[in-house]
Amino acid sequence: MARHIAIVEDEPSIRANYVEALTRIGYQVQGYGSRPDASRAFALRLPELVIIDVGLGDEPEGGFDLCRELRGKSAALPIIFLTARDSDFDIISGLRLGADDYLTKDVSLHHLAARISALFRRMDALAKPMSKETVVEHGPLKLEAERMRITWNGAEVPLTVTEFWMVHTMVRFPGHVKNRDQLMREAQVVVDDATITSHIKRIRKKFIAIDPAFDAIETVHGAGYRWKP
Amino acid sequence: MSLRFKLLLIALSTLALPLAGWLFVRQMEQLLRQGQEQTLIATANALAQSLDVLGVPQPPTGSALYVHRAPGRMVVDGYGDDWKLLAPFAQKLGPASDPGKLTLQLCDDDAWVYLYASVRDATRDRVDANDPRASNADHLTLTLQRGDLIRRYLIASAAPGHFDALTLGDASDNALPTIVEGVWQEDGSGYRVELQLPRAQMPDRLGLGVFDSAAPAPDSSDTLPLLHESKTLSAQLARIVPDGMRVRLVSDEGWVLGAAGRLADASPATAAKRRWIEGFVYRSLIAPQVSRANFAPSLPKLDATEVWQALSGITATAWHAGVDGDNVVLAAAVPLKANAEVHGALLLERTSATLPLLTNRALLSLGGASLLALIIAGGILFAFASVLSLRIRRLRNAAEHALRAGGRGDVPLPLTNARDELGDLARSFSRLLEESAAYTDYLRTLASKLSHELHTPLAIVKSSLDNLDHQAMPADARTYVARARDGAERLGAIVRAMSQASRMERAIAAAEPEDFDLAAVVRGCVDSYRPLIAPRRLDADLPYEPMPMHGAPELIAQALDKLVDNARGFAPEDGWIRIALNATPDGAHIAVANSGPPLPPAMQDRLFDSLVSVRDAGARGDTPHLGFGLFVVRLIVQAHRGSASAHNLSDGVEFTLELRGMPRRPLAGA
Repeated sequence: MARHIAIVEDEPSIRANYVEALTRIGYQVQGYGSRPDASRAFALRLPELVIIDVGLGDEPEGGFDLCRELRGKSAALPIIFLTARDSDFDIISGLRLGADDYLTKDVSLHHLAARISALFRRMDALAKPMSKETVVEHGPLKLEAERMRITWNGAEVPLTVTEFWMVHTMVRFPGHVKNRDQLMREAQVVVDDATITSHIKRIRKKFIAIDPAFDAIETVHGAGYRWKP
Repeated sequence: MSLRFKLLLIALSTLALPLAGWLFVRQMEQLLRQGQEQTLIATANALAQSLDVLGVPQPPTGSALYVHRAPGRMVVDGYGDDWKLLAPFAQKLGPASDPGKLTLQLCDDDAWVYLYASVRDATRDRVDANDPRASNADHLTLTLQRGDLIRRYLIASAAPGHFDALTLGDASDNALPTIVEGVWQEDGSGYRVELQLPRAQMPDRLGLGVFDSAAPAPDSSDTLPLLHESKTLSAQLARIVPDGMRVRLVSDEGWVLGAAGRLADASPATAAKRRWIEGFVYRSLIAPQVSRANFAPSLPKLDATEVWQALSGITATAWHAGVDGDNVVLAAAVPLKANAEVHGALLLERTSATLPLLTNRALLSLGGASLLALIIAGGILFAFASVLSLRIRRLRNAAEHALRAGGRGDVPLPLTNARDELGDLARSFSRLLEESAAYTDYLRTLASKLSHELHTPLAIVKSSLDNLDHQAMPADARTYVARARDGAERLGAIVRAMSQASRMERAIAAAEPEDFDLAAVVRGCVDSYRPLIAPRRLDADLPYEPMPMHGAPELIAQALDKLVDNARGFAPEDGWIRIALNATPDGAHIAVANSGPPLPPAMQDRLFDSLVSVRDAGARGDTPHLGFGLFVVRLIVQAHRGSASAHNLSDGVEFTLELRGMPRRPLAGA
C-alpha cells in the first residue's frame, strides 16, 4: 500500500514537481497551496508524512503554525520543513516546533527522497522490536541505525535525520577525522562550511543537554571532526 | 595653523588699545605743554613790559663788542693762555675780504679792561710805533671813544715784548688813557697784542683796525659799542623775575646783558624715586623734541634757535634737557622792541618736572591696563578656541570612528544636542551617517535578500530538471539537460555564496568564545592545506609554544581558509605561500603571503569590503568570486577586536590579521 505524503507549498511549480517526482517513486502524494486548505484536509485525514514550506502565501510563518497544529494532533507524524529560508534562527525555530528535519530548497529531489524513505524506515523500525545487529555501542553511546535513534547513558538524544547521519558518519569509525565534505555527503545535504559548523554545534548541545560533561565530538581545525575513541 | 593660534593672533588686535592710549597721552602731554608754553610766553611778555616800565635802557642795536667778565687773573704777556675760555667768543674784526685776519677779545675785572688781539700775517714788516715808517708798516690802529672824545693809537712793534703805542692826535684829556702800552708776541703765522686799560678810563666805543704792509688798505677807524653783562640790569631783572624762573636779557647779537633768578630744582626726592624704566618710557615715547643747544647760565652768548627767532621778532619757545636729565627746561624768548626795531630779547626759563611724572603714570597705568586686557582677552579667546577645537575634534573623531565602523549608525555622535553651528554640523553628520549606514546595510543585505528570492525559482528549475531525468527523451537531449543542471548547480553555488556573508554574521553573533591555543589551530589548518596548495611551496613560521586566545577557533580557521584559498587563487603553480603566526603584546598577528601579482594600490584599503574583488573578471573559475571571502575575513577579525589589512611585498602580496581575542562575557549569574 502506497504511503500517503502531503506537500504544503505555495509555489505551484515546485509543488507540482515534487508531487510528480514523489508519485513516481511510489508514494501517494497530495499537494496543498495554503495553510487553510491543508488544515481542512488534515482535519479529515492525517497523512503519513508532511512536507511544509515555512512561508505560505501571505502568511510568512504559516508553515510554523501548521507544524504546531499537526504536532498537536500527532506526536509521531514525521514533518519535514522544506524552505528557502536558511538562517540558523529559522532552522532552530522549525526544529523546536518538533519537525523531524529542516531542508533548504536547493536540496535535490534525490536527497529529499532519501530523507523521506529514511523517516519511513525509522517509523517502521520503531514499531518493530529492536534488532541486535544494527546497534552500535560505543561507551555511553548507543546508536540504532534502523530506528535512527541515539541514546547517551540510556537517554534518547533527539536528533534530526541530518544530524543523525552526521553522528553516524563519525561514530562508525571513531577516531577518524571526517571532513566537512564527507559529513555533507553522508548527511545528503549541500551546504557551506558555516552550516556544517552550526549543525555540529547543535548536535553537541543536544548531547550536553543530557550530559554536561559530554566532549566526544572533537574539532580538528582545518580538517574536520571526529568521534573521540 | 590651528584654530587656537588663529584666535590668539586675533587677540593681538587688542594691542590697538595701548597704541590709541599712547596717542592720546601724547596729545594730552602736548596740550599741557602748549599750555605751559603759552603761560611762559605771557610771563615773558609781562617781564618785557615791566622792563619798559622800569625804564631800563634798551640795548643798542647793530654790531657791538662784548666785554666778558675776566675768567681768572689776567696777565698781560701777549700769550692767549688766560684767554682760552673766552676764545670761542672771539670777535672777528678783519677787513671785509678776510674777517678772520683780526680777532679781538675783551674782558674786564674790577680794575682793568683787557684787550687781546690776534692778527694773521705771515709777511711781517717790523717797525716800532714811533718810527716814521710805522704808518706804512704792519700795525694796528686802536680807536677809543668816550662820549664825544675820540682818541686813536697806533700799535706796532719791531720785536716781541713790551711796546708803547703811539697816541695819535691830542692827548690832553685823560678821560681816555693818554698812553697805551702792552705786550707784543709773534710767530710765523702772525702776531698777538695784549694790553690793559684802566677801568676808570674805559671807553664807550672801541675800534681796532689792522694794516698789513703786504696788502695795504685803509684801515677802518669805525668804533663799535661795548657791551657787558650789567650788574644794574641784573639787579633790575632780579626784582621782577618770578620765583623758580631764570630770566636773561640778550642783545640783538645774542650777547647776554643781564641775568637773574635761578631754576627751581626738580624735587630731588621724587627724582631719586623715579625708576629708570619710567624715564626710559618717557624719553622714548612721550618726551618732546629736546633742543641740544648749550644753554648753561654762565654763557656770555646764547646760540639757540628760539633766541634767534626772538631776535628776528618772533616769539618762540623750546624745550631743553634738564640739568639732571630727569626734568626738562622750558624756555620762552620774546623780542624787546622799540620803535618797531628789535633791540634784544628776553629769555625766560622754567623747569618742568611734573609733566613726565604725570604722563608716565598715565602711560604706565594704561600699559598695565591694556596688558591685563590683552591677557584676559587672549586667555578667554584661547579657552574659547580650546573648547571649540575640542568639540570639533570630538566630532571629527566620532565621525571617523563611525566611518571606520563601516558606516553602521550605532556610534552616537556628540554635540547633536548643541544649539550652535557645531550642533548643526553634528546633526548633518549624524543624518549623513544614518543614510550611509542605511545604504551600507542595504548593500550588505542585498545579497542575502537576493539569494533568498532566488532560492525558489532555482528550486523550480532543479526540481524540474530532476523530473525531466525520468522522462523518456532522446540521447542528445540529455546533453542539454546535463548542461542545464550544471548551470543550475553553478547558480546554486552563487546563491549560497551570496547569503554567506549574512550567515557568517549570524554565526559570529551566535559564536561562543572559548579559550584555545591559536598556535595549535593554525598548525592544524596548515597541515590540512598542504595537499591543497601543492605544487606550490608552503612555508609556515609558527611558534612552538602555545598561544592562548579567547575566541572562536572555528571562525579563525574559516578566516584562514578564505585567506589561503585566496592566496591559492593568485599564487602561480610554481609560486609559494607563506603563513606566519606571531604573538603581539595584546594578541596575535597572522600573516598569509603569496607570490601572486601585486595589488592595485587603490584597492588595498577596500579589499576587505563587501562585493569587492580584484580577480580578473574574465577568468571564470569553478567557484564564483563575488568578493565575499575577504569580507567574511574582516567580519571574523572584527569579532576578535582586530583588524585586517593587505599590502604589497617586494615579491608578492601579504594579508595580515591582527587578533586580540573576543571580549570575555561575564559569567552567567556571576
